[in-house]
Amino acid sequence: MDEWKPSPVVKPHKKRSWYLAWKYKLMNQRALRKLCQTGAVLFLLVTVIVNIKLILDTRRAAYEEEEESAQDYDDEMLNVEVARHPVSNKKVLDVEVYSSRSKVYVAVDGTTVLEDEAREQGRGIHVIVLNQATGHVMAKRVFDTYSPHEDEAMVLFLNMVARGRILIFTIKDEGSFHLKDTAKNVLKSLGSQVAPFLSWRDMWTFVGKKGGEVYGEKHAKSPALSTWGDPVLLKTEVHLTSVEDAECHWPDTELNRRRRRFCSKVEGYGSVCSCKDPTPIEFNPDPLKDNKVFDVPVAVIAGNRPNYLYRMLRSLLSAQGVNPQMITVFIDGYYEEPMDVVELFGLSGIQHTPISIKNARVSQHYKASLTATFNLFPDAKFAVVLEEDLDISVDFFSFLSQSIHLLEEDESLYCISAWNDQGYEHTAEDPSLLYRVETMPGLGWVLRKSLYKDELEPKWPTPEKLWDWDMWMRMPEQRKGRECIIPDISRSYHFGIVGLNMNGYFHEAYFKKHKFNTVPNVQLKNVESLRKDAYETEIHRLLGEAEVLDHSKNPCEDSFVPDTEGKVYVMFIKMEQEADFTTWTQLAKCLHIWDLDVRGNHKGLWRLFRKKNHFLVVGVPASPYSSKKPSSVTPIYMEPPAKEEGAVAVPAVAAAEQT
Amino acid sequence: MQKVNKNVVLALLTLTSLVFLLFQLYYYKFYLSQKNGAVFSKVRGSQSGQGSTRWHVVRKFLGLISSHNIPVYLIDPLILGLVDKDIEQIRSSSDGPSPECKYFCVPRDFTTFALQDKTWKHEVELFRTAEKMGFQWLKVLNKDPRLDGMDDLSGTEIPLHYIFKLSSHAIHLVVFYERSGNYLWHGPLRLKQHMDRKFVPFRKLHFGRYPGAYEKPELLLVSIDDLKVQIPKNPSSFLEEMSHSRFLECRYREARAFFQLYPDDASVDAVEFRKRAKSLLHLAALTLNNLGVKFWLSSGTCLGWYRQCNVIPYSKDVDLGIFIRDYKADIIPAFQKAGLPLKHKFGKVEDSLELSFQGKDDVKLDIFFFYEEDDHIWNGGTQAKSGKKFKYLFPKFTLCWTEFVELKVHVPCETLQYVEANYGPDWKVPVKMWDWKSSPSNVQFNGVWPVDEWDDVIQIY
Repeated sequence: MDEWKPSPVVKPHKKRSWYLAWKYKLMNQRALRKLCQTGAVLFLLVTVIVNIKLILDTRRAAYEEEEESAQDYDDEMLNVEVARHPVSNKKVLDVEVYSSRSKVYVAVDGTTVLEDEAREQGRGIHVIVLNQATGHVMAKRVFDTYSPHEDEAMVLFLNMVARGRILIFTIKDEGSFHLKDTAKNVLKSLGSQVAPFLSWRDMWTFVGKKGGEVYGEKHAKSPALSTWGDPVLLKTEVHLTSVEDAECHWPDTELNRRRRRFCSKVEGYGSVCSCKDPTPIEFNPDPLKDNKVFDVPVAVIAGNRPNYLYRMLRSLLSAQGVNPQMITVFIDGYYEEPMDVVELFGLSGIQHTPISIKNARVSQHYKASLTATFNLFPDAKFAVVLEEDLDISVDFFSFLSQSIHLLEEDESLYCISAWNDQGYEHTAEDPSLLYRVETMPGLGWVLRKSLYKDELEPKWPTPEKLWDWDMWMRMPEQRKGRECIIPDISRSYHFGIVGLNMNGYFHEAYFKKHKFNTVPNVQLKNVESLRKDAYETEIHRLLGEAEVLDHSKNPCEDSFVPDTEGKVYVMFIKMEQEADFTTWTQLAKCLHIWDLDVRGNHKGLWRLFRKKNHFLVVGVPASPYSSKKPSSVTPIYMEPPAKEEGAVAVPAVAAAEQT
Repeated sequence: MQKVNKNVVLALLTLTSLVFLLFQLYYYKFYLSQKNGAVFSKVRGSQSGQGSTRWHVVRKFLGLISSHNIPVYLIDPLILGLVDKDIEQIRSSSDGPSPECKYFCVPRDFTTFALQDKTWKHEVELFRTAEKMGFQWLKVLNKDPRLDGMDDLSGTEIPLHYIFKLSSHAIHLVVFYERSGNYLWHGPLRLKQHMDRKFVPFRKLHFGRYPGAYEKPELLLVSIDDLKVQIPKNPSSFLEEMSHSRFLECRYREARAFFQLYPDDASVDAVEFRKRAKSLLHLAALTLNNLGVKFWLSSGTCLGWYRQCNVIPYSKDVDLGIFIRDYKADIIPAFQKAGLPLKHKFGKVEDSLELSFQGKDDVKLDIFFFYEEDDHIWNGGTQAKSGKKFKYLFPKFTLCWTEFVELKVHVPCETLQYVEANYGPDWKVPVKMWDWKSSPSNVQFNGVWPVDEWDDVIQIY
């Protein structure tokens, strides 16, 4: 019985075993022994069962814990996917497309995704792109193929759409007049049988998959020149594919996750969504040495022109010394697509509930954006203000980094702007040259926080004023005689041709031929001479060195300036008082530079380039530099054309610079 | 033989049961330690086991964030409290190994760290590494208050809190944002619908019940329990700041509604007055903060903040409140030094004290001193020509931080009661004709100053 002795370590057991052993020895009674044995076995069994149960319990608890935490991850992913799931479970889409003279509409699964019955609007071919897996609308365009060149834009767009997308076409009013064969062939290659024969005032609807099957087409011929074809209504079904088939197989990286999200939502951004070798969305330009504007917030003011915003952000993120952390895009309204573009580039975007209308709406949006910028970056002393329709020069930040200290130190400065109103291809030459001007050009500029907080914000025009923010900022009450620093060759390029105050003609005339710097790392010349007093010394030096041109010749003629290079010339024009710009405006007109209002002047002096020579224009006698005029020279006077209504129209158009 | 066999069986069974019993004990201990360390650590002392688990979690976390170059600093009130007792020793001690784990091993559920938003960037990578190290994490997002304002802006939600959990310990990482007025702000912790409410005992968190406002702390790199960590240079003042850091956001939505009803005055005079009032308030705040005197927006200035998030353009003065216990004799000379001469002084420290200073350009700064009673707080007023005394009664209140004209200032937390006491239930309606002796709804006639005291209690300059 000695081996019965249990280990003394386990106390409760020990006691019991001792007791058992003792009883066993003492009584030696069979029945009692049996009872004890059974009792012991029972006790052991219970212990085993309890043990097993405990093990199982703890196992389960541990497992549950793991599961709970795993759910956290799922939840975040779910948020992203939620919107798409219900649709993607469905296999077939009902599509309805209507084409007529005065109305078009497209309905997908009973939801109207396009409806246009406005008069005198939306003429031409409407195109809608659907995601083949989810049925979501990815792009909506209208090409007025009644007018020239619109068909080319349509071809460009259709070529950009990824294979496999569902395309829906419908004509409103007229869409064939300038629909050339190239475009018709593209439509034919998409599977349309009617497109090659589309003619004057035909009605037409078409649904097909790019590079795949045709889901339906309907056409109504116009019986006569003066009448339209009968309205057509196409009802068809589209079979959806799986999400995997609709997406490209890019490697799974953070960047590509953004790309995938973007590309499953929108179309029309070209190679950013191409499966093979997509265009990069991260640019990593060289950092700037000693970058003084690395911590300056950049506010991008945007509306609903996502394609512009895309182009703008690409150029901004490619500029040397850019700091994406500091960029905020302010979208005027709850538009989705601009936000998608912002997220594609991993930037932060903010949407603003629109206030007021037209120019006042833009103005209120500017105010909200600037206020928010200084709230988000409370220790910033400056903010860079950009718009969505600007290309940004590769040395934009380098330019600012070299000049920003002036804005901090020189109280007589109002802003630094990247835009020279008079810097056209034929009038700007020197990327290292800066000017001081009395006008505020905008279009990529730096605002001092103290100016905004102490002066502008408290009295910013209220919504009902319907004022342009930039015109308001140019008013003497605000500008108070202060000047802006601008480069000779602009560091931004205004490419927008659709906008609030903008149209194709206007853009062609005033913006297209603007010079834009493409040289990286330009070392600016004489930055210190841009300070208030130093600049006067500089101008006097320049005028002293300048050769006076022959004032008997016509200043509009090319021969007015000799065929030299690198010289400095001066001419004198008539300018009776400070606000007399009669001759200047005529001169600007014939030189094909900005003539809608006065820009780029400094105390009655304009500086530009002609035939690679520095060309100075001094207004006599209003300008303090008039003293430089030799007494033999008579200032040139140019008469405005005698057109009454023209004179009235000018101020109205002058407001049209900003979009 | 049969008997021996039976005995052998019995012995075998007993042995098995013993093994099980041992196993059970071991497993139970292990299970408990995972669930809740407190039980065992109490029994076994904080040095080993649980204590070292906490220390290890903190060490791992510090390793994680330093591998991503994220500068966090310790703000855990419990540990900072302990650290504060030995602060001199910790400051001076070299990097030698410390003999015992005094701080990071003490029993607690969380260790709290702070992170300034602008000092970090690449969060995706951080979480991937954290997961690899075995951390479970939770991110709490919410609206960005810096976009709140008179304009209706909405941006991406910003991260306010992170919680990293490893075995039985959790790290609470509070994200601080810099805001206009040169202060740091952290948001409230609010769980969204889908979040795991049992991830950690949220109620026990030291930060997140309310949003909070803090000065930018000066940091100090120290070695505590062999871990290098940044702490506020002065832990005790940080803890003191923490105890009343609650922050109130201005009610911009209501303010917008107010301006819908009563369009703002955008005249040159109004713009000019606001500018002056703002700079006077900035100057007053600077002066009082330098003296270490706690003050809050009172009367019209408080109403302006609460009702329209701005200075009321026709209010003509700036009103501040100070508890009489915070009164310092240096207040008057300090203001005079700041270029604000005393205009009048009514009452005395024992009763109804009120000071007025002449700001630049005709804007007056009124400072009312508040007297605390058992069930209410009051301040006094004096009519100069008659020597009449008035008393303005307020329900008891505490002080909260807010942001007003780019300044971090105090306002009564119970602002509505405060404003209602002062301006009655119709405080939402602008009143341009205001008589301080009769208009306030909480005014009481409080007798007349004895004539022989007039020279002292009615001083006009």
